[in-house]
Amino acid sequence: MTRSDVLVDADWVDAHRDDPGVVLVEVDEDTSAYDKGHIRGAVKLDWKQDLQDPVRRDFIDRAGFEALLSERGISNDDTVILYGGNNNWFAAYAYWYFKLYGHDRVKLLDGGRKKWELDSRELVTEVPNRPGTSYRAQEQDTSIRAFRDEVVSAIGNKNLIDVRSPDEFAGRLLAPAHLPQEQAQRGGHVPTARNVPWSKAAEDDGTFKSDDALRQLYGDAGVDFGIDTIAYCRIGERSAHTWFVMHELLGQPNVKNYDGSWTEYGSLVGVPIKLGDES
Amino acid sequence: MSETAQATAAGCGAPAGGAPAKDAGNQAIVQGKVTKDGAPVQVGYARLLNSGGDFVAEVPLGEDGGFRFFAAPGDWTLRVLAPGGVKTDRGVSAAIGEIRELEVAV
Repeated sequence: MTRSDVLVDADWVDAHRDDPGVVLVEVDEDTSAYDKGHIRGAVKLDWKQDLQDPVRRDFIDRAGFEALLSERGISNDDTVILYGGNNNWFAAYAYWYFKLYGHDRVKLLDGGRKKWELDSRELVTEVPNRPGTSYRAQEQDTSIRAFRDEVVSAIGNKNLIDVRSPDEFAGRLLAPAHLPQEQAQRGGHVPTARNVPWSKAAEDDGTFKSDDALRQLYGDAGVDFGIDTIAYCRIGERSAHTWFVMHELLGQPNVKNYDGSWTEYGSLVGVPIKLGDES
Repeated sequence: MSETAQATAAGCGAPAGGAPAKDAGNQAIVQGKVTKDGAPVQVGYARLLNSGGDFVAEVPLGEDGGFRFFAAPGDWTLRVLAPGGVKTDRGVSAAIGEIRELEVAV
């Protein structure tokens, strides 16, 4: 796999956004960002309203994903180009989510909304009118999704990468620093987890660092490229960004995203927790 | 839990400018505005870097050029990015129960 299989740049978007079979999709942490302006032709996915089950803590099911993409006018054969703010944090999550339901033709706009805005490229408010489709999803590919028991049994056996900030890893903060800090669960990290904050994989403008820089980043942190890997964060979105780096850019086999992440693990009764900066 | 914090604590979905906060409560808040020639900068990003220079959090600027972070106590660097290659750093120290206000002109 090469970068062009999973990433496009802004010039590619300008050249191909009107091609049949290409659909731009914005997914943002700030779900109102799309409404203020988006790349011409892009449709919106709301990571919470559209992608999360409204009652249970889980994703929408296969039928729900089929209904969602059909309603947004996305076909099985379409190449979906995802982008969003905050270094593609939520766009990378949507990428993983599309892969989870078996949509192979999906790529990220490198740098996402931030680089697009910082380069003063055009944003519009006009919402495209895409005719509905009959989208068919696959069963979830659980080879890329980790559940809590796998995380507990991975302690000391697999790479566990905690991609939160160092203060969250150590237990000094319970959420990213742009959110209020009250939470129900305990602070700390899964014992043996290596702390490689997700954002270290991106440059200031949100583009991904080079493969060599990425390998050095994870290697220096003690990640063993010869064994399986589970990445986690607080609710599974920042770790989807790291999953993208490890699995899609670096081509590591057997990388899973633990979307339950710290809000689940830190609330489990009886599991081991490590406090402080050490793994 | 304060009522202002409750609205956003369930998810990661912070709005542009950062999550709302009426008062600091038990938070260590760093907030402020970015201006250019006295007018708010509406297209841009505020990033919070830790004492090691590593990225910790980022928000797009609000319509009033505003940003807000809920930090841990200690020393931080606020970095503003805006179109035209603007990149401005400011040092700031956060403390529990206090709001540290920054005005950044670019």
